[in-house]
Amino acid sequence: MSRLKINVHHLTRVEGHGNIVVDVQDGNLKQCELQIVETPRFFEAMLRDKPYGDASHIVSRICGICAVGHATASLRATENALGVELSEQTVLLRKLMMHGEIMDSHILHAYMLVAPDFLGVGSVIPLAKSAPDVVLRALRMKKVAGDLCAMIAGRHTHPIAMTVGGFTHFPREDELLALRERLVAMRADNQATLDLFASLELPDFVRDTEYIALSGTGEYTFIDGVIASTDGVTKPIADYRTVTNEIVVPHSSAKHTAHLRESYMVGALARFNVNYDVLHPKAREAADALGLTPKVINPFLNTVAQVVEIVHCTEDAIDIIDYLVDKGVFWEEPAEPTRDYGTGSGGVEVPRGVLFHEYTIEAGKIVGANCVIPTGQNLGNIDRDMRKLVPEILDQPKEDITHSLEMLVRAYDPCISCSTHILNVEFVNE
Amino acid sequence: MKTLVMGIGNILRGDDGIGAAVIDALQGDALPEHIDLLDAGTPGFELVLIMQDYDYVVVVDAADMGYEPGEWRMFTPDEVKLQAGDLYLRGTLHYAGLAEALNLGEALGTLTAKIDIIGVQPATIDWQQGLSDPVAMTIAPICQAVLNLVQHVDPA
Repeated sequence: MSRLKINVHHLTRVEGHGNIVVDVQDGNLKQCELQIVETPRFFEAMLRDKPYGDASHIVSRICGICAVGHATASLRATENALGVELSEQTVLLRKLMMHGEIMDSHILHAYMLVAPDFLGVGSVIPLAKSAPDVVLRALRMKKVAGDLCAMIAGRHTHPIAMTVGGFTHFPREDELLALRERLVAMRADNQATLDLFASLELPDFVRDTEYIALSGTGEYTFIDGVIASTDGVTKPIADYRTVTNEIVVPHSSAKHTAHLRESYMVGALARFNVNYDVLHPKAREAADALGLTPKVINPFLNTVAQVVEIVHCTEDAIDIIDYLVDKGVFWEEPAEPTRDYGTGSGGVEVPRGVLFHEYTIEAGKIVGANCVIPTGQNLGNIDRDMRKLVPEILDQPKEDITHSLEMLVRAYDPCISCSTHILNVEFVNE
Repeated sequence: MKTLVMGIGNILRGDDGIGAAVIDALQGDALPEHIDLLDAGTPGFELVLIMQDYDYVVVVDAADMGYEPGEWRMFTPDEVKLQAGDLYLRGTLHYAGLAEALNLGEALGTLTAKIDIIGVQPATIDWQQGLSDPVAMTIAPICQAVLNLVQHVDPA
């Protein structure tokens, strides 16, 4: 009997921990799944009995990479619960913040996690030695994205100036113009990024699935809108539970989700497939140059869709800044709630896909809270991709199969747990 | 020397919040103007960008050193092994942010700052808010240690 067993513990270059388990006996796939060993199950406990104004600041600490996304989803849930109407300026400043965070995260993922696979160097540290210009370019781009967030909300990780109904700090015109200049200068780095990913040979693997993203705002949607599926269904954000349909599976401490099919995909590729028509024209040009046309059903191309989104966010940020400078940015009080109780949901496209927060508030305090993260929604889809991929590459050496599976999981850019920064220290002379 | 005192860690994960707690406590102290304080949260590779702007960085972080909870120690990156092999085996963007950022900054040659690390052995880093008693008791002595480190730094 021939048997192939693969067990990758603590998959590298993915945020958090995940184990890949594959078991093939006599050519038959017995087991193939991404096992999740850790996930935050603390969300409601963290927020219960807190004043609603504290929620966005608490949840922004869940993740250093999606701090703005968690804060924005939290604010939208609270604002919908309490009947808060936002000013145009608030809406635009929040869009700019999200653009900054999407760029920041995508740059990190594409350059630090994915590119090393295809450049054959294993990780970003040897890449920094063999091609420092590539890594320095990534850091240069990341700095522009981070500074965009910092200009509006104090800083990127943990945006203190974002509050229910608006902002407590506003960018000056000279700051906006200086940032605009840097975004324009970043176009050259964006082009170099497009060239790099056009030159990489990504695996030729396809599996059609349902793609879900926010849509319907007349633009490439990151905040609000409706939940849209490539299978032709749209639903209001408040009905998100009828989309996610969370289910417990034995091998994962994170719940899986399913809508019209066994599983669905969220993230840059899903957004691209749902909202291609309203991509910024320059981003569509970039997509065309990369040969990316919806519906794209190769999950490895999620990273390429991220690169297209970097272009979209850069160009749209320039346009938003032009509009804001033209109108003038004014100090304004945050919009007031019209009541101190209610239930509301917020939907935001964070780098890894759509994120939902839902709060119930009574007498100004949070009494119920729910959160569905993008990676949770992708887990079922990752398992099904792996089950299709493994039989297709079973003739390859075990190391190559393992590497392909790792690359597949990394393409989803999963954030499996929100981890600590604890240092592991070994003293040399003891 | 342009100087940064930086706390790293997630305040939603128990004693991992020690860095933020120390920075918070230092806000009340009269620090010289050329010294910046930063509760950096969980910044990952952002640290490469943060640190490259400084000549001297003092980092306060939870650290697994095999000690009793609440024991703390000061060391430089050269004195310890910070799981430098992580990136090849099980490195993640988030898991060992400081160690990886130091590796990357060094590989790129962008990291020129002198670095002192104050590591605190945590009792727990589960999802919960607030520090354990033994770790909370380290805040005052660590603040004093930080002040001792930075008080003679040349502002120029």
